[in-house]
Amino acid sequence: MNPHTSMTDSPALPRPGAARKRAVGDLALLGGDHAFDPPVSTSNLSRPDPERLLGYARRFHDARRYTADGPLGALLEARLREFHECEHVVSFSCGFWALALAIRCLALPGRTEVVMPSLTYRRMADAVAWTGLIPRFCEVDARTLGMTRETAAVALTPQTALILGAQPIVNCCDMSGLEALAAETGLPLLIDSVESTYESYEGRRIGNFGRAELFSMHASKLLNGMEGGYVTTNDSELDARLRRLRAVGADAGGDIAELGINARLSEIHAAFALANLDALGDCIAHNEAIYRTYQRTLCDLPGLRLLAFDESERCGFKNIVVELEEAWPLTRELTIAHLNAEGVLARAYYHPPLHARTTAYEQRGLELPVSDALGGRFLLLPCGANTTADDVCDVVALLHFLSDNAPALRDAARP
Amino acid sequence: MTTASERGRRLALLGGTPTFSDPVPLGQLGFPSWERFEAAIRGICERGWYTNHGPLAVEAERRLADELGVAEVVCVSNATVGLMMACRALGLAGSAVVSTFTPPAAAEALLWSGVTPRLCDVEAGGVHADPETVRAAIDDDVCAIVAVNLWGGFADLDGLTALAAERRVPLVLDSAHAFGSAYRGAARGALEVFSFHESHIVNTGEGGCVATDDPELAARLRNIRSSYGAGRPVPVPITSNGRFSEAQAALALLALDDLESARRRNREQFDRYAAALAGVDGLRLVEPARARESNHQSAVVEVDDATFGLSAPQLVRVLRAEGVEAAAPIRRPLHRTTLFRDAAAGPLPRAERAAASLVQLPLGAALSAATAEEIAELIVAAGRSAATLAAAL
Repeated sequence: MNPHTSMTDSPALPRPGAARKRAVGDLALLGGDHAFDPPVSTSNLSRPDPERLLGYARRFHDARRYTADGPLGALLEARLREFHECEHVVSFSCGFWALALAIRCLALPGRTEVVMPSLTYRRMADAVAWTGLIPRFCEVDARTLGMTRETAAVALTPQTALILGAQPIVNCCDMSGLEALAAETGLPLLIDSVESTYESYEGRRIGNFGRAELFSMHASKLLNGMEGGYVTTNDSELDARLRRLRAVGADAGGDIAELGINARLSEIHAAFALANLDALGDCIAHNEAIYRTYQRTLCDLPGLRLLAFDESERCGFKNIVVELEEAWPLTRELTIAHLNAEGVLARAYYHPPLHARTTAYEQRGLELPVSDALGGRFLLLPCGANTTADDVCDVVALLHFLSDNAPALRDAARP
Repeated sequence: MTTASERGRRLALLGGTPTFSDPVPLGQLGFPSWERFEAAIRGICERGWYTNHGPLAVEAERRLADELGVAEVVCVSNATVGLMMACRALGLAGSAVVSTFTPPAAAEALLWSGVTPRLCDVEAGGVHADPETVRAAIDDDVCAIVAVNLWGGFADLDGLTALAAERRVPLVLDSAHAFGSAYRGAARGALEVFSFHESHIVNTGEGGCVATDDPELAARLRNIRSSYGAGRPVPVPITSNGRFSEAQAALALLALDDLESARRRNREQFDRYAAALAGVDGLRLVEPARARESNHQSAVVEVDDATFGLSAPQLVRVLRAEGVEAAAPIRRPLHRTTLFRDAAAGPLPRAERAAASLVQLPLGAALSAATAEEIAELIVAAGRSAATLAAAL
């Protein structure tokens, strides 16, 4: 299902009544009308102010510069340096190729494996495989869902070329532990911080950890540049190297010393990102209001535990994740099937875990009982710019209805 | 109008004032009228659908397929990524032959896909690989032939198709420069990759597309590009992010509306260069090769320094001093770069000569035909003062 289906800005649209399902037969999966039209999704989809966006677009238009190294790419990089309080930001066409290039730059030569969590972004192992290296998966901590020093340490081998950390969807992974492990072993640490863009960790702003951190500006992320990504680093050599590699690897004299790619950010995408960056405070406030509404309304629904943001740190409140505990009376699959049928585009948390997929390329570290167990338990609920607090109340009312009618729903789902 | 040479003005390198105070840039740099662009951007904001194969991307693929006369078009974030996706969709493994006298995209895409590039020379009297030069570079491990079509013209695609058939490997077309051009023969390759970089006739900032008549190949490309807009799921060796945003799609659609006028503009500028440079000894404007119709998006001149009196790099310096951003279209053949220095089996002298003797001149939306003529007059004037200039340089 497409999470971007028909997003209009008319919250006043009449609804067939999410909270007004009276009988099991009113559920969309069982023949009733769907509750949300348009659907509500888990994507941020920040809407830029068109005037602000066009104001930025004027600048590249008037300069006749439409791609990287134009006026807006440079401005965006400068603004993101301030935002992350870091020394260097390199923008890219998307996070995926930024990740692949950062892996190529940082992996120790002559070694073959990248240690990374399995319970993470579904294309992360593919990005590793594009670089010719082999993903070796490690567990995450069952409490934080993040990689830790301990889970990474047991996956290290003499072939480890790089530790690739990844933030869980709520809060951060054990970055001080991973930094200590990297320091002790001499291994480079690269962190996918896509889901922690706004966060701080032990008071330090995200964007200053490991050798480099990676971010996405895909429309679904906190900072919507339509497509786009960037790398933060405090290493000026890495900054210069990434800039070269995103533009086919050529140096000023036209030589190509190492394999590059085209991963330049279009100026129009930089304009989108800048317009949304200007309004990031409003976006965070909206996300916090959504989160508070879930906090308030989910507390009396047994079996669903809302993952709490660590408010002793800076939080972006972007993602809403619930754990389906023992007391929740439906399988995750059936819960998602009902929600999706109603237009609630809830999604399973990182499912399937990467180690459980069959791939054409080699993967290692496939015995991961903790990730297997965690992989089936979490659910992402709607949030973002197109979800209102009223929507949240309706979604939670629907969850109540599903819970209250669980035996009948299980019966109806039997073949 | 009076031109630089008619005014008898001194060339900037000899102490005169530069002809253009605002530098005249290289590249097509086309963009829709602000009003149409603004309307498209407002529409995207209203729909709130920004990427992931939105309605404009769907329409762009349909219109591009119509324009190209192919069954399937898959839009991509840029042509290099399109070529990388193509190598994976074709399941290439082994070595592939590509001309050394090309931008690095195709050879780099091969490397990213685990395919070893074998660099070949260009044809006699031209700038493209031909069956003879490709054959000289083919080894037993060959899995594909990549034809890179330059400057609105084409390689001998019929000949290369025959060679590819003989070796039972696909012919991949890197037509980054060729949108809006048509090959004079029938060959169209297994797939064809186009670029919508700002330097080409369709400008989406960055962007491109892969065109093919093979629905299986298109299905694999869509699955490799991303899960959104993937259509039916088919097994692929790896996925990537090659998505085309709604802003890119909006720009592609507007550029298609403007394609005919852009081609006309290019043709007019090209013809002005041709007329003004005709009869200049030691200079030849490169005609788009083997094109039934060309986008005429590039003006490239070949400089015979012995006759013209200045070398190509010297002419570039003369023009740059005048505010004309002329440049070598391909600064180094790939086998002269560190990365690809072992990718050629032997010397590739024609490509080296081409790299040393060609100059690309501005042609596109940032200038008028009169400016093209003025630049040509500067070149004529440089030829007349060649001895003095050469001494000054």
